[in-house]
Amino acid sequence: MGNTLQVVIIISLTLMVIGLAMVLAMGGFGFTVPPSSVRSLATIFLNTTFNLDTKYRYVSAMSPEAVTAIVWDYRGLDTLFETSVMFIAIVGALAISRGASEKLLKGFSKTRGGMSLIVKTITRIIIVMIASVGLSITLHGHLTPGGGFQGGATIAVAPMLLIITFSIYLFSKMITVSKAVTLRSIGLIGIALSAFIVLIIAILHGDLAYIFQNQPKLYSHYGLPSYAEVMVLGGTLLLFNTFETLAVAFGFTALFILFILPEEVVKDIIKGEE
Amino acid sequence: MINEILIIIGEVLIAIGAICDLIAAIGMNRFPNFFVRLHALTVGAIGGAFVPLIGVTLLSLGAEFLGVYRFFMAGASIVSAILLLFLAPVGSHAIARAAHRSKAAIVYPKVIDRLEEDRERGVIT
Repeated sequence: MGNTLQVVIIISLTLMVIGLAMVLAMGGFGFTVPPSSVRSLATIFLNTTFNLDTKYRYVSAMSPEAVTAIVWDYRGLDTLFETSVMFIAIVGALAISRGASEKLLKGFSKTRGGMSLIVKTITRIIIVMIASVGLSITLHGHLTPGGGFQGGATIAVAPMLLIITFSIYLFSKMITVSKAVTLRSIGLIGIALSAFIVLIIAILHGDLAYIFQNQPKLYSHYGLPSYAEVMVLGGTLLLFNTFETLAVAFGFTALFILFILPEEVVKDIIKGEE
Repeated sequence: MINEILIIIGEVLIAIGAICDLIAAIGMNRFPNFFVRLHALTVGAIGGAFVPLIGVTLLSLGAEFLGVYRFFMAGASIVSAILLLFLAPVGSHAIARAAHRSKAAIVYPKVIDRLEEDRERGVIT
């Protein structure tokens, strides 16, 4: 195949994509993308995510960020099970390589390996920046795009960098697999408690409320505060985001430690004794 | 007056960045071995990304019509520029060191390789 033919194919593919996009955007096939019926759904969500009006007060999630409001308020139970899917995956990885990291790392008393001094120094500076960016994504999750999972995944880059530059032997002096899994479980317990917190408050007052309730509803007038002076708190959304960050960050840390172990050593340990 | 000066300096820096990117691309294609190509890559990272980001900072500070948002743009670009200044040399250094230690890249048209001589004498590991 000659060079000219390849150039012709590339140019014609590009022209086809641009032409199709133009035709779809102008409504050439008799419909527009997105269809106008979707826009009324968007209007409903925009009306009910953050609305101080008395008409919408009992259906509003009181969070300016629509995605976080939908994920943790409109369909909170769904998101809880999404989190548990990842937890089950981590449980599987732990069950396959159980005890491997402890046995392997016990033999090395002195710290060794790692990259050169230049890389180590810059990594020390960078991990502080990564952690602060992740925390800001989390704590602004109910105001700006972002949220618990995204913030946690951002923070999880820091232990990955530490493992690569300082070697797994030095990193395991700070955080072991069991410690990471413990912190992850604390995060999951926090998510579960945040789901029931409005119900617990209502029961303490001698009344009832819904599970996963955030703001006061028509038949249960309990809810977490959505305002502190001028700051928008978003009720339970802030709690959910914080605990989700803890769970995701340390879950990924445990997985990274397991992935980085040398394969031939781990195989021997997993095989066990006859 | 000061805005126009800022805009002109910013545009000049962005033009320098574009030229550096072109030089880096030519170098990546034409240089003989891995380590010299890495040098061309660093020209692209610092000259082709750090310098134009500083230019974008000055340009957006001078652009009066953007309103308050020009400070957001300036802050974001200067932070990215400083991060690139930290990270790009470290990345090239780590790649070069790993390639030299593992002998994955052969230093073929070479004048002198002091690091290899030191490694053979056992001065450094």
